[in-house]
Amino acid sequence: MNLGESTRLALESIWANRLRSFLTLLGVIIGIAAIIATAAVINGLNRYVAEKLSNLGSGVFTVQRFGIITNRQQFIDAIRKNRRLEPADGRAIRERCPLAEEVAWEAHATRDLVRRGAEVRDVDIGGVTSGILEIEPYDVEAGRVFTPSDDEHGVPVAFLGYDVVDRLFPAVDPIGKELRIDGLDFKVIGYAQKKGSFLGFSQDNFVKIPFSLHRKLFGSRQSVNISVKASTEDSMTEAMDEVRAVLRARHHLRPADPDDFGMVTAEGINDLWRNMSQTIFAVALFVVGISLVVGGIVIMNIMLVSVIERTREIGVRKAVGARQRDIVEQFLIEAVLLSCIGGAIGIGLAWGLSALLASQTPLPAEFPIWAPPVAFVVCTAIGVFFGISPARRAARLDPIEALRSD
Amino acid sequence: MTDVIRTEALTRSFEMGSTTVQALRGVDLVIGRNEYVAIMGPSGSGKSTLMNLIGCLDTPTSGEYWLNGNPVAQLGEDELARIRNREIGFVFQTFNLLARATALRNVELPLIYGGITPAERRELAADALRQVDLEDRMDHRPNQLSGGQRQRVSIARALVTKPALVLADEPTGNLDSKTSMEIMGLFDRLHRQGNTLVVVTHERDIAEHAQRIVTIKDGRIESDEVLRSAPASESVAESAPRALEAE
Repeated sequence: MNLGESTRLALESIWANRLRSFLTLLGVIIGIAAIIATAAVINGLNRYVAEKLSNLGSGVFTVQRFGIITNRQQFIDAIRKNRRLEPADGRAIRERCPLAEEVAWEAHATRDLVRRGAEVRDVDIGGVTSGILEIEPYDVEAGRVFTPSDDEHGVPVAFLGYDVVDRLFPAVDPIGKELRIDGLDFKVIGYAQKKGSFLGFSQDNFVKIPFSLHRKLFGSRQSVNISVKASTEDSMTEAMDEVRAVLRARHHLRPADPDDFGMVTAEGINDLWRNMSQTIFAVALFVVGISLVVGGIVIMNIMLVSVIERTREIGVRKAVGARQRDIVEQFLIEAVLLSCIGGAIGIGLAWGLSALLASQTPLPAEFPIWAPPVAFVVCTAIGVFFGISPARRAARLDPIEALRSD
Repeated sequence: MTDVIRTEALTRSFEMGSTTVQALRGVDLVIGRNEYVAIMGPSGSGKSTLMNLIGCLDTPTSGEYWLNGNPVAQLGEDELARIRNREIGFVFQTFNLLARATALRNVELPLIYGGITPAERRELAADALRQVDLEDRMDHRPNQLSGGQRQRVSIARALVTKPALVLADEPTGNLDSKTSMEIMGLFDRLHRQGNTLVVVTHERDIAEHAQRIVTIKDGRIESDEVLRSAPASESVAESAPRALEAE
């Protein structure tokens, strides 16, 4: 008997019991759909992190009072030991690190902004030195960015994020208009392209002003983030070493002391994210693995029932010349097809689910192209693994007994 | 000419818990080509056991069996499956058709396991159905057919591989007497066309359609009566008188 014939038989049998087949497959359908949907979300987040969140350019790193902190103890230590970073630290790096081609710093504050009855809450007010534009250029939608003299002379100008423009300047061109921040009027010189949101947090809710004015408005006690661009991409590690040496000297650290500042690179952010997403995926895989095993057991059970129901049919087939392997083939193909049909429905469901997630929730889901082939391989494996025992049982039936059964 | 069936001292015993039941106690049976033989016997006589052995569904405990000249007593399960596929056509009391398949598909079944190509299969199956006068019912499923028609489909399935032996187990057991006569008439015709037929039955009037009646009792052949010594010719009417009765 050939494969086409077995496949045809299996499809006939699955179709003859469509409701039962469908119910049998629920476990596999849900399992496959869940794992692919999870993968889609992680896939989407991966791309987001790679493209937008770690938007540090190549050869760029930042020095922060707290670097990437992943546990509570690190946090407590950092709060206690890490010193505030000052513009003086940035100037020292600029002067004493030959591999640091460009150095800039930025301070942050959060304010609610109001203009003519409209309000935006929790706007990130960033005070930047003009060098930042050399390190991470802004995506300008309209207007211009800062010049070195804006910072030097403390000119009250502001560069806005898209959300701030959208809410405070509806239907007017904001450029040239005034925006009051903490009692001081700033002239809007430009605004950025829309970046969108990540996990529900808007990436467009910011205002950038010259660093010197930020200090005047919000005081000089905040730690600054220092961004450094190495002269070449390859020299970044060495540049980081130089910066580390300069800061450790300024902070009077002994050789045995750990750094009292953190350094963040795009790679570091990506690594952190990768670790997190791998953990999420591993947990999801484990949970879904259980559901697939349960799904497989259900398939095995229904195949056993099917073998018993079709005992006489098996007897007839054997009487007219079916060998054991013909019968094994028939039932095995039926189990594999059953499981693959479940997988196909699961893939469809996951595809719809990830489209729904992407459009209706803040999660950036992106259907992974590797999912369908992997799902089919997994489903085939499930079908073979859980189908082999019922198929063998069918093949070993004694034809005389089988023909006598009812 | 080789005999279709030749058995020598065929025995078959079954383990039933701690006791051994002797179902066949040494059967010597020879059936030649184009013979039409009925096997009779009360239930428990061993006639079903003998039929299973003749049909290669089972293997003997001891003794020899040549089917169409080939020794088959020692064969393994898959080899027996091949022999069943090529040499034997089964006709069952309960028809044993696949409920979901059309008459044509049912008749094709042995050819599928024989590795015949789909096109050839269709042609052979259609021919077989024509032989049993069901050419207009090919696409009907068993539940759309009458009992007699179903049995004719199962006869077509038995004939489709052109087997050395057609083995019928109580072929009229589930049919009314009128339909039974039709089916027996069909057997008579198959016999005249040269087929070798073995019919297992417990009904004397069914058995008397055969040339020869072998009676089994207590696992042995009790009697072997030849009703008509010569092969039935085309001129013999369907319900031939039982002439030429001999011991």
